[in-house]
Amino acid sequence: METTLHSLYLGFSVALEPHNAWYAFLGCVVGTLVGVLPGIGPLAGISILLPVTFGLNATQAIIMLAGIYYGSQYGGSTTSILMRIPGEASSVMTCIDGYAMAQKGRAGAALCIAAVGSWIGGTFGVLVLTVVAPPLATLAVKFGPPEYTALLVLGLIFLAYMSSTSLIRTLLMASLGLMLGMIGIDNMTGDFRYSFNLAELGDGIGIVPVAVGLFGLGEILSTPSADAVKNVIAPKLRELLPTRKEWREAVMPISRATVLGFIIGIIPGSAHIISSFLSYALERRLSKHPEQFGKGAVAGVAGPETANNAASTGAFVPLLALGIPTSPITAVLIGALMIHGVSVGPTLVNDHPDVFWGFVASMYVGNLMLLALNLPLVSLFVTVLRIPYAYLYPMIIMFCIIGVYETNNSVVDVWIMLIMGVLGYGLRKFEFDPAPLVLGLVIAPILEQSLRQSLIMSNGDYLIFLSRPISLGLFAVSAGLLTLAAISFATKRRDWRATLAEAEAGEVET
Amino acid sequence: MTLRADHVAGAFFIAFGLLVIAVSGSLPFGNLASPGSGFMPVILSVLLILFGGTLMVRAGESRPFATLTWSDAKHAAMVVLITMLAIAAFEPLGFITANAAMMFALLVVIERRRLAPAAIYSVGVVVFTFVLFVYVLKTPLETGPLGF
Repeated sequence: METTLHSLYLGFSVALEPHNAWYAFLGCVVGTLVGVLPGIGPLAGISILLPVTFGLNATQAIIMLAGIYYGSQYGGSTTSILMRIPGEASSVMTCIDGYAMAQKGRAGAALCIAAVGSWIGGTFGVLVLTVVAPPLATLAVKFGPPEYTALLVLGLIFLAYMSSTSLIRTLLMASLGLMLGMIGIDNMTGDFRYSFNLAELGDGIGIVPVAVGLFGLGEILSTPSADAVKNVIAPKLRELLPTRKEWREAVMPISRATVLGFIIGIIPGSAHIISSFLSYALERRLSKHPEQFGKGAVAGVAGPETANNAASTGAFVPLLALGIPTSPITAVLIGALMIHGVSVGPTLVNDHPDVFWGFVASMYVGNLMLLALNLPLVSLFVTVLRIPYAYLYPMIIMFCIIGVYETNNSVVDVWIMLIMGVLGYGLRKFEFDPAPLVLGLVIAPILEQSLRQSLIMSNGDYLIFLSRPISLGLFAVSAGLLTLAAISFATKRRDWRATLAEAEAGEVET
Repeated sequence: MTLRADHVAGAFFIAFGLLVIAVSGSLPFGNLASPGSGFMPVILSVLLILFGGTLMVRAGESRPFATLTWSDAKHAAMVVLITMLAIAAFEPLGFITANAAMMFALLVVIERRRLAPAAIYSVGVVVFTFVLFVYVLKTPLETGPLGF
């Protein structure tokens, strides 16, 4: 514990250096804007701004990009509450009761509860991360290829199981993503796969063009400007404080969502999205007045908003301790660190303590900055929403092109982004969620390599996965989840996931 | 039988899986104990075909294909076309010309905005972005024959 506190002191001395604090602030502001603006989610936002960090050192780069990530979770609530438009996917559930509160004249209170809940969720996540990540990194040194294979398989199955759309659709998307991840040189044999004599495809398809295309451009293609005109309910500063009754109603949902969000954040998948859905379902289940949900229940805002921020922080645990990207966003963050010559994994704590602890400490500072930013400056962020969408989306397309091109200075990547944009449009039409596709793309090379390395270790014996306790345990959990899903699938039994899918499709206009 | 959205989606994934298997012929498959570079792609193609088939079998749960709305398709096609032209012009003409033209076209052709405000907005935003990235953030952008 003493070592942790000493390391944290080191972290704060790094995070509070004026330059680093400035980049944390910049990340928080940009992140909030990314969250506020419909059409740019955190993934597209981080991808677009990745090249901007090339001129920074590794610590500044990760501090700024992480600020964008958790800042967008804060910002996403603003449009959800004031316009019933989720700025990004994890804010979908906030739309339901947040907007209902706004219509009752409680927009300020909803924003305040969302901001405070986000701060508590985020800060709790950082606290646990501080304590858990270093010992977990020590344990992770014992992870070999079979354990990594088992963990990645569990991640994919967990994502499919938790999906609110359908198991088959999620597995299809993940398989398609894994397939795209096969493009390029095979690391173990040197064979070119599906590169069609294009040198640029030798290194495979990058996550940035795929993510920006699917989420940024795809969203724009699906949103004609005529459909994007919405009324904005602008709260006054004096209306921001919730009443005592509202605070009381928010306390328990915030507490529950903090723990729930963090735990889900650790598990691979689109954690911040899933956690907000689960938190909403949990609060409705536990509420003495479930009939109030959908009509402005405070718990319907406090729970999801807290959970998505706690999950965003929880997602950093496997990233920092194991070097495993559990979501497309953390994968981009790993990419950013690798560009700066920092290898993410169990050795990060010892090899780059300034980066690790500086980053952790910056999250304490960043969460505080966001709390201070989001409440008083809400009117300013609302102003951004008044820019006509017809003028906004051409600018977003331009930033998509810049972000993708700057990553590798390759126009081929920009073409890939355009193709992915069209694919994203088609997937939306047929009600597929593109997030598992991106996750599949990210983990494809790691999964394939760890599988083949495991088989080399065991002379081709698949029992290696069952003879090691950690991989056996992880595969057992995967099997359990698959069995549960298969029972539900075979009996066509409606469970909480079907209910959530209906809530997402029916109650929320996106 | 009513053609449903998942019939079309499932058929697409089956066709894609078959296509990948067809173009994977030159990649060594290896065997289960010692997978080659073609192993994972073929396994994934088979999974795509299986999942696509399951989607088609259970397509009754999805919407009829005829009820899918395509009212936004014209907007999407126009945006794609204009963006394609801008990407094609990106290297030969440079960042400023290609992107200003793209934004101007999006505003005038698709959004029916007036010429002068559209031109001022397009050029202003693109030049500001160019200065921001190249001179403030020190990240170079593609320049055209005129040096910008």
